Amino acid sequence: MRDARQGVAPRLLLGLCSAALLLLLPAVLPAPCRAADITLSSQTYLLFYEREVTGGEKNKYAPLYEYLSGDASLQYLHPTGNAEMRLGRFFFTEGVAAEILDGVFLKTTTPTGFGLSLYGGVPVEKSITSTDTGDSLYGGRVFFARKGFAEIGFTYLMEKGDFQGEDREILGGDLWVRPFTPVELLGRIAYNNATSGIAQQRYVLRLSPFTKLEVAVGYENYNYKDLFQTSLNSAFLSPPLDNNDEVQNVFAVVDYLIAEGLTMEVGVKSIRHDRDDPGDATRADLGFRYAYNDKKDVAGLSAAVVSADRDENEYQEVRGFATYTPGAWRFTLDALTHRYKEAISGIKDAYQVVGSAGWQVLPNLKVSGDLTYTRSPQFSKDFAGLIRASLDLGTTTGGN
Amino acid sequence: MRRNAFAIVAGAIALAMLIGCSMVSQTDSVPPKHPEELPAGRVDCLECHEDVSTGALKPYASFRHSVVFIQQHAMYATQGQNLCSSCHAPAFCQTCHARKEELKPNVKMGDRPDRLLPHRGDYIVQHRLDGRLDPGSCFRCHGNKNDAKCRSCHR
Repeated sequence: MRDARQGVAPRLLLGLCSAALLLLLPAVLPAPCRAADITLSSQTYLLFYEREVTGGEKNKYAPLYEYLSGDASLQYLHPTGNAEMRLGRFFFTEGVAAEILDGVFLKTTTPTGFGLSLYGGVPVEKSITSTDTGDSLYGGRVFFARKGFAEIGFTYLMEKGDFQGEDREILGGDLWVRPFTPVELLGRIAYNNATSGIAQQRYVLRLSPFTKLEVAVGYENYNYKDLFQTSLNSAFLSPPLDNNDEVQNVFAVVDYLIAEGLTMEVGVKSIRHDRDDPGDATRADLGFRYAYNDKKDVAGLSAAVVSADRDENEYQEVRGFATYTPGAWRFTLDALTHRYKEAISGIKDAYQVVGSAGWQVLPNLKVSGDLTYTRSPQFSKDFAGLIRASLDLGTTTGGN
Repeated sequence: MRRNAFAIVAGAIALAMLIGCSMVSQTDSVPPKHPEELPAGRVDCLECHEDVSTGALKPYASFRHSVVFIQQHAMYATQGQNLCSSCHAPAFCQTCHARKEELKPNVKMGDRPDRLLPHRGDYIVQHRLDGRLDPGSCFRCHGNKNDAKCRSCHR
C-alpha cells in the first residue's frame, strides 16, 4: 500500500526532524524515563474473486490483489503521570481528534490533575486511489482528571489544506463522570469553527446495576452542514442530499450475562431526521453469544429489524457465526442475510457466507485463508478468495 | 502552511525540556504491556482488577469489554489510549481506523467473525440504506475533505 499524499520534501524534512528528536531525547529526558520499542506490523493479503453482475453480462474477473502495510513509530513512556512522546507514524485519539499522523505527540499530567497534550505533523490517509489530505494538522488538549471520579477535556484541532473551502478547524469538549459506583456519564461535543456551528454532540449514561448486567442509554445530535463541513462533499452530490438536514439519535444497549459464557445483547436506535427524505427509522437488535473452548471460540446468532418512514429504508438482518480453534489452527464460519422491503435492482435478498481456515505458524506469524460467497442486488454470484499473512514485529505493547 | 507543523514539533521539544519529568504527576503510568498474557476472547478486567487504573484514572470496571463498552469505546479512548495500548497493538486500532484502506475491516479480519467489524456483507448495496439513514456513522472514517472513496461513485 502506498501513501497518496502529495509533496515529498516536507515529509522528508519532518522525518529528519523526528530522527534528530529521537537522538536527542535520551539526553533531554531524565533517567527514569524509558522507551518503548519501535512498533512494526505487516499484513499481506492476496485477494481474488469471480463474479457475475446482476441483470447484465456474465462477466467474470480473476484479479490478484496484494495489499501490504507497515507503520513504524517510536514511543517514550514515562513511569508516572502517563507522560509520553510519540514520533513517526502513529494513530492517536485525543478529544475530538482521531487521526493518523506523521509527526509528534506529547502528553503529560501534572500533580494537580491538570494535563496537556500537543500534537502536530502531516496527516496520513492510506489509499491506492489519490486521496488528498491536509498539508498540516496540529492542536492540543487541556484536561483535568480526578482519579476514579471525573475527567474533562477541551480540544483544539486545525487541519490546513485544499478542502474545497475552509480549513478544518474543530473545537471540542469531552467529559467522563462517575458520581457513584454503578453510574457513568460520558459526553462529547464538537464545534466546527469553519462553519460556526455545533457539528456533533453525544451523551451516554452507562449503568452497571449488577455484575452480569450493563445498560447504556444515549443521545446523539448532528447536522450535515457542520459535521460534513462542505456541501461539496462528494457523498452529497449524487443522489443529492439536503445539506440542512439535522439528525437526532436516541439509543439504548443492554449486555446481560445469562450464564457462564452465554451473553444476550439487545440494542435499539431511533433515528430522527428534520427532513422527510430520508425520513425517520428505528433499528432493533437482538443477539446471543456463546464463548467456549476456554473462551478461545465464540458462536453467535443475531437478528435486526429496521422499520422506517420510507419503504426503501426498511430491511431485516439475520447473522450467525461460529469459530473452532484446535491448537494452532483456527476455523470460522460466518453467514449473513438481508431482506429488503423494497427491491433493489429488482432483488429483495442478499446473502453472504464466509469460511476461513488459519494456522498460527509462529507466535508472531499467522497465515489464513477465506472463501466468500455473496449474492446481492449487485451480484447474482460472487466468489472471493483471500490469503492473509500477518506478521507482528518489535513491539513492547500488546499484540492482538 | 507547513510551518505550523514544525512549530508544533519545536514546541513539543521545548515542552519536554521545560517540564522534563519533574512536573509530571507521580501516579504510576499504565505499563506499556500487560504483565500477564491475557486469555482469548472479550476481556473482563474485573476478573483480576477491582480498583481504579492509576494510569487511566478510571475504574477497571469501565473497561469490561461488553457490547456496551465496545460501542462506546471511542468515548474512553479519546481521553487516553495508554490503557488500550497495554493490550492492543497499534495495528488493532487501524484495522478499522485506517482511513480509507482498500480492504474493508471485515475482509481484513475475515477470520474474526466474533469481532464487531463494520461493513459485513455486500456493503456497496447496504451502505445505500445505512448511509442514507445515519450518515454520521460513516463520517468517522469517510468524513469531510476530499474523500476519494465516496467520489469514485458520487460524482
